[in-house]
Amino acid sequence: MSKSRKKVTKCSTNNIHCMDNVHTKSSDSTEFAIKASHLHKSFRLPTERAAGLKQAIFNWLKGVKGYTEQKVLDDVSFEIKKGEFVGIVGRNGSGKSTLLKILAQIYYPEQGSVEINGTLVPFIELGVGFNPELTGRENVYLNGALLGFSHKEMDAMYEEIVQFAELEPFMDAKLKNYSSGMQVRLAFSIAIRAKGDILILDEVLAVGDAAFQEKCNKYFSSLKGSKQTVILVTHSMDNVRQFCNRAILIEKGKIATEGNPETVAKAYEGLWD
Amino acid sequence: MVEVMGIPHILCRKNRILLGELVKTDFKLRYQGSVLGYLWAVLRPLLTFAILYIVFAKLLRMGNDIPHYPVYLLTGTVLWSFFTECTGQGIQAIVQRGDLLRKISFPKYIVVVSATATALINLAINLCVVVIFALINGVSLSWSWFVVPFLVLELYTLSLGISFLLGAINVKYRDVTSIWDVLIQALFYAIPIIYPLSMVLESSSFGLTAARIIMLNPIAQVIQDVRYNLITTETITAWEILPGSLQMVPILLVFLVLALAALFFRKRSKRFAEEV
Repeated sequence: MSKSRKKVTKCSTNNIHCMDNVHTKSSDSTEFAIKASHLHKSFRLPTERAAGLKQAIFNWLKGVKGYTEQKVLDDVSFEIKKGEFVGIVGRNGSGKSTLLKILAQIYYPEQGSVEINGTLVPFIELGVGFNPELTGRENVYLNGALLGFSHKEMDAMYEEIVQFAELEPFMDAKLKNYSSGMQVRLAFSIAIRAKGDILILDEVLAVGDAAFQEKCNKYFSSLKGSKQTVILVTHSMDNVRQFCNRAILIEKGKIATEGNPETVAKAYEGLWD
Repeated sequence: MVEVMGIPHILCRKNRILLGELVKTDFKLRYQGSVLGYLWAVLRPLLTFAILYIVFAKLLRMGNDIPHYPVYLLTGTVLWSFFTECTGQGIQAIVQRGDLLRKISFPKYIVVVSATATALINLAINLCVVVIFALINGVSLSWSWFVVPFLVLELYTLSLGISFLLGAINVKYRDVTSIWDVLIQALFYAIPIIYPLSMVLESSSFGLTAARIIMLNPIAQVIQDVRYNLITTETITAWEILPGSLQMVPILLVFLVLALAALFFRKRSKRFAEEV
């Protein structure tokens, strides 16, 4: 049992890293962008913490494990086609962020595999790597490097980023002196320059003022219009209805409903009633 | 083709960009907010050296039999502070960059290498200071100076190995940082940095055995070899004191640590994002 399980894990690991080699695999007329099959993931939750060495040895002798396995994803499979705008919804703790992190290759699934066709740019959070002690300018280049842009490429984009963020006078000030709104504007301006075959967005809409929200909405509309493959995790059913071609509702680590955005949004809203 | 966390990654363009930018950031941030800034990279080992020199060379009158003893001492302290800085930063790297690991996917070793790179830059600056001091002190130029980079490479390899190994454990058990702090104190006295090895040799009847055990340590071997090639051939090296069969032990130890560390780090790194 344990042997066969090990084999599956290994296979998934290989798949995950062969991002660019998957192109030939699909023979369907509509090419897939992401294929997730039978994903399992659980986390260990500590229950009984050993207060000291004595207790730890005691627990070990008695066979108390000190944690329980919490199943976060339980046999999740789906396929996302190229050009689709897919919304992933679910309540807090339903496992959607874990799923996203597995798709972004940050977490590894215990079982199952993810096949990715093309380059993938994940935005689990805006402004990853932003350092308060660096200036706005330095942070732009650092964040760019984390997204895979060289210094030269960032040079070409720099003016545009600063203009879009409306932060021209502040670029040589340290980030710690920015307001949180300014930080988000800067991060977002860099993010929308990142071009990948697949974009993964985790609740990036949840921040900023009304004007910023407006900018986000325009950005999403443009993504939808340009047939960009997007996976969006959100709590806003308005966004699901407005932008998504398809949606997936996750509940207790399983896919509860999948398909038409309207149906899924209704199902999500029905979770409380 | 499987290329998981392997060497091919370092050649990949995206990883090179990332490594370069992280090194730049670390270096910029290191002396952030200090008036003297980068000057501290040179000042710190020089001041440490000054203390050790006053205490050990002047008050305790050690090293009278060694030519150019002040530079000899400085070489030792510079290499030692490189080792402590390198491992100190390297072990902390994964935990300190936890925010990155949790949000984007990239080979984790980049974080460790970037954290140790600053120490390597500092060492380069400090070795320039050593060379200037050596020339002032009347040490003559020699072809054997070209051996020094290879010895530095050996020491850096060892530091990287220790950083990977202990850094990976440190993610789950933060005790490692504290244990390493104490261990490094003990290690300092187990290496002939402030005392000359000849003192151990002459100390008692089993002085030779003690000196041999000391010289099995790759750090001691590197420091003595650098002194031999850079300052004075009157340095006692591992090659001179160890019997033939044991001469390769220090270098083998370095590779053993690195191999173990690479295997362990590779295995553990898959879970760093969850555990850090």
